[in-house]
Amino acid sequence: MERQEPDATFDDGMDSFLEKFQSQPYRGGFHESQWEEEFEKIPLFMKNSPSEIDPLENPDLACLQSIIFDEERSPEDQARTYKDEGNDYFKEKDYKKAVISYTEGLKKKCADPDLNAVLYTNRAAAQYYLGNFRSSLNDVTAARKLKPCHLKAIIRGASCHLELKNYVEAVNWCDEGLQIDATEKKLLDLRAKADKLKRTEQRDIRKAKLKEKKKQDQNEALLQAIKARNIRLVTEAPGEDEDLASEGLSELALYGLSSENPCGARLSVDDQGRLSWPVLFLYPEYAQSDLVSAFHEDSRFIDHLMVMFGETPSWDLEQKYCPDNLEVFFEDEDRAELYCVPPSSTLLQVLQHPRYFVKALTPTFLVCVGSSGFCRNYLQGKKVHQVK
Amino acid sequence: MSETSPKAEAAKLLPFLMLGERADLQAAAAQHVLALTGSGPGRTLLAGQAALLRSLVELAVAPPPAPARDAARALVNLAADPGLHKPLLEAEPGLPVRLLGCVLDPQWPWAEEAAAVLANLSREPVPCAALIEALAAAEPGESGLERLVRALCTPGYNARAPLHYLGPVLSNLSQCPATRAFLLDRNRCVVQRLLPLTQYPDSSVRRGGVVGTLRNCCFEHRHHEWLLGPEVDILPFLLLPLAGPEDFSEEEMERLPVDLQYLPPEKQREPDADIRKMLIETIMLLTATAPGRKQVRDQGAYLILRELHSWEPEPDVQVTCEKLIQVLIGDEPERGLENLLEVQVPEEVERQLQQQDHQEREQQELELDPGPQAEEAAPT
Repeated sequence: MERQEPDATFDDGMDSFLEKFQSQPYRGGFHESQWEEEFEKIPLFMKNSPSEIDPLENPDLACLQSIIFDEERSPEDQARTYKDEGNDYFKEKDYKKAVISYTEGLKKKCADPDLNAVLYTNRAAAQYYLGNFRSSLNDVTAARKLKPCHLKAIIRGASCHLELKNYVEAVNWCDEGLQIDATEKKLLDLRAKADKLKRTEQRDIRKAKLKEKKKQDQNEALLQAIKARNIRLVTEAPGEDEDLASEGLSELALYGLSSENPCGARLSVDDQGRLSWPVLFLYPEYAQSDLVSAFHEDSRFIDHLMVMFGETPSWDLEQKYCPDNLEVFFEDEDRAELYCVPPSSTLLQVLQHPRYFVKALTPTFLVCVGSSGFCRNYLQGKKVHQVK
Repeated sequence: MSETSPKAEAAKLLPFLMLGERADLQAAAAQHVLALTGSGPGRTLLAGQAALLRSLVELAVAPPPAPARDAARALVNLAADPGLHKPLLEAEPGLPVRLLGCVLDPQWPWAEEAAAVLANLSREPVPCAALIEALAAAEPGESGLERLVRALCTPGYNARAPLHYLGPVLSNLSQCPATRAFLLDRNRCVVQRLLPLTQYPDSSVRRGGVVGTLRNCCFEHRHHEWLLGPEVDILPFLLLPLAGPEDFSEEEMERLPVDLQYLPPEKQREPDADIRKMLIETIMLLTATAPGRKQVRDQGAYLILRELHSWEPEPDVQVTCEKLIQVLIGDEPERGLENLLEVQVPEEVERQLQQQDHQEREQQELELDPGPQAEEAAPT
């Protein structure tokens, strides 16, 4: 056996190899300025994989990918690969990508029902964390069709129902699961939670119902009080009769009592059963108005006017609107006639006048200074009655 | 002219009751036997006829056209008499097992009658033990007791039989510590599934059975804290049947458990006075320990009981209610008396208390329960 002189040849080869370095540039090396990026592109040294693999940019990676997702492998193998891919995305909390992977796996329609059940259940989990509870529920339902005793699917389904506030369904799914494993802690906890929430929801419904009933009773009482006083109401809706039958009254309840004035003033009743009305005073001379939010029916106009005009209002340019000078009218719109109200009358007395119609549950009165020119003009040509 | 004794008459029926006989003859014989079971002497007569009893059991579990229903009803009447349990079980030791099979069969049309027989039998300790043994003979998967609870709690378990009598059966079974241990297993969901049945509208038999079961369970004072806590939350289910359509103030309402808030004006109280009494007794048991008392107080029991007391028409129920209210509003007992179920009562005091009891009993025909109690099915 001829033993070569290793050192000599090696040295020769090595020398000439090394010489090459000095004379020729090494083309396979990294570029100095971007060696880190190029390093990253080598699949073995990659820290993060790119989300999309461009074969031109990353030929090595594209190669590897095509090996894994080779169409020639069996559907079961492919599905399993997609399942693993989905699970990896899931671990990284990239739920959207996980859903896509699982979907691809399901598309393979492989013949293994267990695998498909897992794909459905895992996709359901990803959908759950994306907040798509209905989609999640559809997936676990599909999973259960394939594998009725798949506990993970049942737990997921119960959780979905809980999130969707279907508490009865949640409890039912838990019970079905507990028939398979009577001591499964997650199901026990879910069931207790769902049951409690169901009972709380039932309480809330009862509370709302009672509140509604109370409100209706109050409205009914108010309407009865109005009726008992023979006060006539008018609805704003066109085509309504001015004299209301009892059905009309309840319609009014819906329309009038529930809608408040813009200022929030409403008809109310006190402990003695006396009403207080929101009353609108209009001053046509200056196109002004005042709203008395709670005009007690037994109080007199003059009492309110004394307070309202204790100081003459800013719009009163001639400073003539003093309580003693004021005249109060209401208008019978139907007949276009005015009625002069003695300020010493109570609100109730006026409201009970046969020609007084309360509109939108807010009695309205016109006020001007009796002796003024404006007033004389205003009353010109109109029929004015005196209310006793 | 030959005088046939009743015994001989009864013996004559025997051939017609055998399986394989003509259906119409079987039916007639079964009806005759059923009629006999309607009277004391008739029952005693039948008790002596072991072979006849055996045939009766065979018929009760036989498929159509056998007169299974009448045979079962005859057994219900026989089992209602505790003195007949021994002859029944001697004639047919497999009676509990075979009836249990019928009861738990979702397709069996006479499951309710079978359950009624078991309810009557299980009142007494010996048949009760036999039934428990039958239940324990485990089928793969679900234990017999698990299945029984499931049959009771699942609406529509048996499309043809409502199985209300499973309530009293369970109640009787709960006299046994092993049953209570299963019902109160914290790693499972068992007692929780019974709770909604305290409001079951269609059957006082079922309601009574369930409440009896809960009462027996509440003798286990080690479980009180868990029972009163959020995992079971037993108290609202005991108070709900006792609550009426009370209009509490907003502030009072917020103190009540969620299930008792804002009850509608149509809310009815439990119509059966015995069940009302059992409910109060159950709550009373839960107040035996100091922490239990606190929990019951904190969950607003007093408000409900106060209203119940002013409504309650039955005097003995009212007295029971009063006693519970006293416990709730009374002072805490002295040291050594914190758990009323474990207190050692001195002999002299014991004697005095017994005398007092006797007097009270005479006054109001009160029934005092020394421990877990059994439930009875009514004879048909």
